[in-house]
Amino acid sequence: MSIATFADWLYATPFSSAIRQTTWIIPDLQAIHILSIAVVIGSALITELRLAGVLATDCPVQEVLRRFLPWMRIALVVLLGTGLLLVVAEPGRTLGNALFWIKMVLVAGASLVTLQARKGLVRSTGEGGITDSPESSRLLAWFMILVWVAVIFCGRFIAYT
Amino acid sequence: MTIETILRQIDESPLAASIRENVNAFPLLESLHVLAIAIVFGTILIVDLRLVGLPAHRRSAQKLTAELLPFTWGAFVVAVITGSLLFVSNPVAYANNTEFLLKLVLIAIAGLNMVWFHSTTHRRIAEWDEDMPPPTAARVSGAMSLVLWTSVIVLGRWIGFTLETMFF
Repeated sequence: MSIATFADWLYATPFSSAIRQTTWIIPDLQAIHILSIAVVIGSALITELRLAGVLATDCPVQEVLRRFLPWMRIALVVLLGTGLLLVVAEPGRTLGNALFWIKMVLVAGASLVTLQARKGLVRSTGEGGITDSPESSRLLAWFMILVWVAVIFCGRFIAYT
Repeated sequence: MTIETILRQIDESPLAASIRENVNAFPLLESLHVLAIAIVFGTILIVDLRLVGLPAHRRSAQKLTAELLPFTWGAFVVAVITGSLLFVSNPVAYANNTEFLLKLVLIAIAGLNMVWFHSTTHRRIAEWDEDMPPPTAARVSGAMSLVLWTSVIVLGRWIGFTLETMFF
């Protein structure tokens, strides 16, 4: 089954039609999606800038991570949920778009690094300085910020391609 | 010179034309606008939650605001610039859009809330800097800010769904 046939089938389901036909659902799903993006961006900005050694350097890395990783986890779950519903509502426009898939790869990668690699740093026994591991490298931190920015651009451009 | 004539002049300006004619201009401006508001709301959220009484990554509210507000302000400037350019591309339509006008009003009220907080409660921050919960005035400012900025974002998204592009 091709993506196009699956998308057509999904579009024709009563659930998909219901979402599309109730005028306020898609805009409000997108609004919740954007608010959750802000939570991820805010948390990622502080977390990665701390790991890059430019922000809150008087706070132990573990403290910063402990505060923001749970928020990122919750926001990413909400983004997944609202995102899924938005795909169900408009499957052809999303599943048939290369930018959507690029965004998915970037989001999956950044989420994995955040929730797995950074999780390991929370339990590290450093005295407050940055530990010398690949997961904590400054280069990775700056790269992560770039990835989240790219995700935002991909997301907005889906509507235009 | 009525508002209508000013809007029409903006609409007919070379700047407006160049944004409309370049197929990537509007999406790029929009994406930058989204990035900017994500940083504005993302950082304000952390400060406001702290003001309401939810702990941040540091105990001092003063250090937290000093640390994050530069990002909020920088991103806000980008949001205003990109927003203005988006407006310029279709001034008559936006000026007639209720959600857009309401959004501007709420941003102004959020600004007033901020000015009120900074000229009163924030003046005495040394007294309550690490107190949990913070004083009621701080909690009210924080809560109002959260409600206002959330509404700004929701209204902003709704503009795209309610914009009327034909006017007779």
